[in-house]
Amino acid sequence: MTGSDHLHTLEIRNLTVRKGGVEILSGIDAHLRCGEVTALVGPNGAGKTTLLLAILGQVPYTGEIRFCRAAEHGRGAPRIGYVPQRLPLDPDAPITVLDFFALSAQRRPVFLGASRRTREIARESLERAGVAHLLQSPLGRLSGGELQRVLFALALRDAPDILLLDEPISGVDVAGGGQFCDFLSNVQRDSRFSLLLVSHDLSVVTRHADQVICLNRRLVCSGATTEVLTPENLAAMYGTDAHLFRHSHADGHGHLHDDGKR
Amino acid sequence: METILSGVFALMDRLLPFAFVEPAFMKRALLALLLTAPAAAALGVPLVQHRMAFFSDAIGHSAFTGVALGVLLGISPSSTMVVFGVLVAVAITLVKGRTELSSDTVIGVFFSTVVALGIAIISREKGLTRNLQAFLYGDPLAVTDAELLWMAALFLLVSAYLAFLYNRILLLGIHEGFARTKGVRGPAVEISFALVVALVVTAAIHAVGILLVTALLVIPAAAARNVARGAASALWVSVGVAALSGFAGIVASWYLDTATGATVVLAAAACFAVTALYRVARPRE
Repeated sequence: MTGSDHLHTLEIRNLTVRKGGVEILSGIDAHLRCGEVTALVGPNGAGKTTLLLAILGQVPYTGEIRFCRAAEHGRGAPRIGYVPQRLPLDPDAPITVLDFFALSAQRRPVFLGASRRTREIARESLERAGVAHLLQSPLGRLSGGELQRVLFALALRDAPDILLLDEPISGVDVAGGGQFCDFLSNVQRDSRFSLLLVSHDLSVVTRHADQVICLNRRLVCSGATTEVLTPENLAAMYGTDAHLFRHSHADGHGHLHDDGKR
Repeated sequence: METILSGVFALMDRLLPFAFVEPAFMKRALLALLLTAPAAAALGVPLVQHRMAFFSDAIGHSAFTGVALGVLLGISPSSTMVVFGVLVAVAITLVKGRTELSSDTVIGVFFSTVVALGIAIISREKGLTRNLQAFLYGDPLAVTDAELLWMAALFLLVSAYLAFLYNRILLLGIHEGFARTKGVRGPAVEISFALVVALVVTAAIHAVGILLVTALLVIPAAAARNVARGAASALWVSVGVAALSGFAGIVASWYLDTATGATVVLAAAACFAVTALYRVARPRE
């Protein structure tokens, strides 16, 4: 393995996930480095979300996922924060953003109301994520971008060592997506957690990620962003009909369109 | 035991000086409804969020087989109904977590198997049908003191359970993976919830019967969704609707001479209709 001078927070060895007799992921070897941003890229159905779920212990797997005890983590397994792609909530679900904070922040059952501490925590975290005005909004009625910021604020509250972000800008308009990414990298720079970011958007990856893991059911390649995102590797991952082209309004960064698989 | 109940009955005479409360069987019926309906309605809020209405219906119908087994084996059908309901609930939850099938498919398989078993038993034992009638339609007017005490114990159990686990159950219903990162152990919470639902469903069958028991869990929670914005009001509106329809249903059934269980469910449905109208009429924010 390369980069042995870096501290790893997470090592994945020979990871295989089977579902209904089909191998969704086979023989994955990868690692996350301490305090770096690692992007997980690959076409739809490549097993990106499955890999996140395996790290969370949500799907059975063979192989090894080892959390390393780097000095700055103190003792024990590192804390993992997780921002799912979306929530399977109907718009009428009677749960506000404040309730959502209360569910994990307080022992008192939420039907007896949010504690003063919960309110403080929620207000503070939402302010940090720039969405303080959403405190009383119903969770099911948030837009994709708003929900992402709320989930992000909630994940950050535990001061995670590793943060898993599933498609952080899917369903967000271009300008909002850019803002969110800048905000994300600012927070990441301050807090120094290891960030594993699933993304379809190669402009985000090239701008923010230190390392890239390319996945298509197997490990296609991994390493430093600048070395890994070559046309050959992209073709191996997305097929030869993938095009890297520029948006007329984008700031000179490529955006990968995955023809025929969307 | 007797003294506690007679104390409660004396208190009811003081608080509710109405003709319909006078007979002891009406006091028992009212108590049975005010204990089981709010407990069922409180569980109904997370049940609806987890999309488990069909699950509670399956548990209700498994009671049919539980009763048949009790009569067949010569044991009290009220207790075999509880044990059998709990077993089916645990079995469905365990199988659901271990297959690729969707949960409604798994429940559908269990549902029909269990009901078929019940029908097979009944068809062999000719004298059974009369015994089953009280369970099918429910008869709160025939609730015994022992059943009342069991309902009171369950009421306390559900309150304690929800006080400890409500946050985790709701979080699990929002997103399993996310809940996991917040320290919620999904499978354990799921099994415990299924167990408590099974206990309450089998108790509520005495009040409204197998055919209608799901209504006590689903209708108040659905009515609450029409008016509540937050998690706290959702639970309290649901419990309030259940208590109100329990009381209104029993009064109405006394004067209209209709089946008590069905009248209670109709009262709950009326509450749902009112909240639905409110929801339509409410100005949009």
